[in-house]
Amino acid sequence: MALLELEEVRAGYGPTSVLHGISLSVQEGQVVSLLGANGAGKTTTLRTITGGVRWSGNIRFAGRSLNRMHTEDVVRCGIAHVPEGRGILTDLSVDENLKLGSYLRHDGQAVRKDYERVFEYFPVLRERRRLSASTLSGGEQQMLAIARALLMKPKLMLLDEPSLGLAPMVVRAIFEIIRTINQADGVAVLLVEQNARIALEMSSQAYVLEVGRLAVKGSSAELKGNESVRRSYLGY
Amino acid sequence: MQGVLQQVFSGLASGGIFASLALALVLIYNAMGLVNFAQGEMAMFATFIAVTLMDRGLNYWIAFPVTLVIAFAGGVAIQRIVIRPVERAPVLTLVIVTLGLTALINGLAGFIWGYLPRAFPSPFPSRTISVLGAYVSYQDLGVIAVCGVVLLVIYLLLQRTTVGLTMRAAAHNPEASRLMGVRVSWMLALGWGLASAVGAVSGIMVAPILFLEPNMMQTVIIYAFAAAVLGGIESPVGAVVGGLIVGVTVNLAGAYVPYVGGDLELAVALAIIVAVLVLKPNGLFGRPSVRRV
Ligand SMILES: Nc1ncnc2c1ncn2[C@@H]1O[C@H](COP(=O)(O)OP(=O)(O)OP(=O)(O)O)[C@@H](O)[C@H]1O
Ligand SMILES: [Mg+2]
Repeated sequence: MALLELEEVRAGYGPTSVLHGISLSVQEGQVVSLLGANGAGKTTTLRTITGGVRWSGNIRFAGRSLNRMHTEDVVRCGIAHVPEGRGILTDLSVDENLKLGSYLRHDGQAVRKDYERVFEYFPVLRERRRLSASTLSGGEQQMLAIARALLMKPKLMLLDEPSLGLAPMVVRAIFEIIRTINQADGVAVLLVEQNARIALEMSSQAYVLEVGRLAVKGSSAELKGNESVRRSYLGY
Repeated sequence: MQGVLQQVFSGLASGGIFASLALALVLIYNAMGLVNFAQGEMAMFATFIAVTLMDRGLNYWIAFPVTLVIAFAGGVAIQRIVIRPVERAPVLTLVIVTLGLTALINGLAGFIWGYLPRAFPSPFPSRTISVLGAYVSYQDLGVIAVCGVVLLVIYLLLQRTTVGLTMRAAAHNPEASRLMGVRVSWMLALGWGLASAVGAVSGIMVAPILFLEPNMMQTVIIYAFAAAVLGGIESPVGAVVGGLIVGVTVNLAGAYVPYVGGDLELAVALAIIVAVLVLKPNGLFGRPSVRRV
């Protein structure tokens, strides 16, 4: 059974409907890419999963229905959502941001280990612990957002354009760590990206959205190999 | 010189009272971008509850914390019942709701306890003590101590506890906080509860000086506005510093500036508000920001 399963999901903002019946699934431990042009509805899909938009249809996660569930409760089921714009609390310190990731957990011992690991992945966060999160660079903020998500000990991470606005070197470093997190911790990842090339490197399965509908789905290898798909949807 | 020092201590005592009410305003402003005009009336109502408890024979130092707990619960209830249904409405709607709340609480207090001013006990002796050569009343020192402790407790709660962290997070960025599992709506209710309790402290501290009646807080709230604006309406520390500055300034002006004393002291507070809004709109501790008013 799939870890996450969307069935004929429709969603929108007020009177505007944005998603016109999306079905997709993520298996346990799998990395899945969700690609598409600007305004295709990628962000909306992620926000739908964590209850940030009104939606209809069916969403199941780890055997539970997410219908009518509030964001706070969806998150408690084991979904960590790194939103578009990263969702860093810039009024708080780096440490306080991390604390918000782990505050719901009761396994103190494991939390301490996870902090150690997070600081191994992102040493710069240890150095900047006491500083205001607003002093971090864009790349560091993205690291903080991923670190915080990891501290939530999720079964699934939703990442919304982690590469946005970052230098290629930083992007590579961050994706390397996302891969590690996926492989070492078995965290499944639903990855939204404009940068299709790097996303398809990471994922085993991929979906392409086109104005609120699924245009293409298949294994990442297939999509990479299909020149017409690449040209018409992925732009490379 | 001793005279000045004496006025400064008195000023710090009033300042502590203004600071408490100003902090209450800031807590709610931070949580939802709303100036709660009913804050003073909520404090007055709580003070009536305190005096009712004492009338029933409760010791002052038991009635005080019990009142704060009741005020806290009342603040939470007001948020849940009155504010939450209009939470997403335009700010003007919210302002009108709090103005309505002001009139409602005022009328309710009048209806229950009447409009005759009544004495309110002070737990501090009326004697004075010599501090650095100035004669300072135990009353002033006691008020300074109580307000100091309350403000410190709030500070520690917000800065050093997990619930304080989630409250601050919810106030700064509700969307992102929800994604961390923070129950934002309940954090708002907690904010209202805390504000209500801190405000109640100001009411209980000021009542022995002003006498207790339903309109007791109507001048105090102006000083609290002055304090909050001076400190920067988003800054808890600013509210406290602003409160102390307003308290001391008003006291010194009342004592040493001809004609200011009594009624014109309020004009000093209004002058501070206007001056700050013109010269430093974000206050002493506020950061420049674009935000809905
Ligand atoms: N808050 C909102 N209110 C109304 N419409 C919105 C809102 N957010 C997004 N939309 C609309 O929904 C559609 C899908 O937007 P969405 O942000 O999901 O796209 P996206 O695939 O994430 O795009 P991008 O690659 O630019 O981030 C767009 O037409 C957008 O204008
Ligand atoms: Mg997007």
